[in-house]
Amino acid sequence: MIKIEHVTKYFEDYPVLNDLSLTVPKGSIYGLMGLNGAGKTTLLRHLSGFLRQNSGSISIDGQDITDNEALKRQVLFIPDELFFFRGYSMTEMSRYYRKLYPRWNEARFEEMTRDFGLDPKANIGKFSKGMKKQAAFCLAMAAMPDYLLLDEPVDGLDPIVRHKLRRYLMDDVADREMTVLVSSHNAKEMEDICNYIGILAKGKMVFEGDLLELLPTSLEELFIEKLGGEPREQ
Amino acid sequence: MLQLDLKSRKSIYEQVMDQLKEQIMTGQMATGEKLPSVRELSKSITVNPNTVQKAYRELERQGYVYTTSGVGTFVADRSEIHADLPALQKAQENLDDAFRQLLFLGIGYEKAKNLTMQIIERRRPDHDKN
Repeated sequence: MIKIEHVTKYFEDYPVLNDLSLTVPKGSIYGLMGLNGAGKTTLLRHLSGFLRQNSGSISIDGQDITDNEALKRQVLFIPDELFFFRGYSMTEMSRYYRKLYPRWNEARFEEMTRDFGLDPKANIGKFSKGMKKQAAFCLAMAAMPDYLLLDEPVDGLDPIVRHKLRRYLMDDVADREMTVLVSSHNAKEMEDICNYIGILAKGKMVFEGDLLELLPTSLEELFIEKLGGEPREQ
Repeated sequence: MLQLDLKSRKSIYEQVMDQLKEQIMTGQMATGEKLPSVRELSKSITVNPNTVQKAYRELERQGYVYTTSGVGTFVADRSEIHADLPALQKAQENLDDAFRQLLFLGIGYEKAKNLTMQIIERRRPDHDKN
């Protein structure tokens, strides 16, 4: 379970996260929604241990992620802006991942690489944007994380690839209760895969709840109701 | 095997509920038959297992299935299912609106009625035939 309580983070004098609380139950797929600049990416960067909050607490399975190397190995983050070592192929990246992640699954890595039709020996730097994203997924899913954090994961991916990814995600959620926290703008896509939803605005949580309890209201209606209505008092 | 339509206006949850109810009510799944486990169904139709779990719980609450802990979920006796009033009312309103739309097309009352009767006949469950 991911538990974020009253987290505030300032960039200079501006609160990008403002007294934000959120709970992601184990084995759920939690969709994080919000307009651009709402704080979604900043939140994910805190959870992966890249940023440290000014106040409040963040815990995963009851432990603080900062300086917790063992816990960091159970949490995989696929950012919107991907990082690979310069000139590395997927095979070379996989050697690095294998050392880092104790549950590395070589068979899964090979299966996914083949399934996506990626050349494991090619320089990832020469891949298209969508192929880089697929490469990042192959590496992340083969690390068999307990927690997978995804920032705008389907941006730039074609429908066939999206469908395959969905299958890999659901398999891991069903088989080993992997927990997924995913940010997106796409209400329909989120509605199809998530069971929990959180809507962020200006660093605050404006709605959090079980998606299935909203029915028959659609997520798109809720999103517009929460974010598109009258301008809020600050 | 359930078939989901990702372009449908209905949510994945509603589609899972509808299709399981259809299999149960048409007798494609027999009384006492075991449903796939949440994990199996989730994987075979690529749906969030939490959504499938919720559908099973709701089907149980409405009396379509029963769960024996540690054993699985089974199709309940259809005669035990009692329509709840709001659901019945909603279904009647939908039927009324659909027939009204048919009349709006200007095909005349008799033709609209015949078309409707054909649909009704097509939906007759196997166990009610003869």
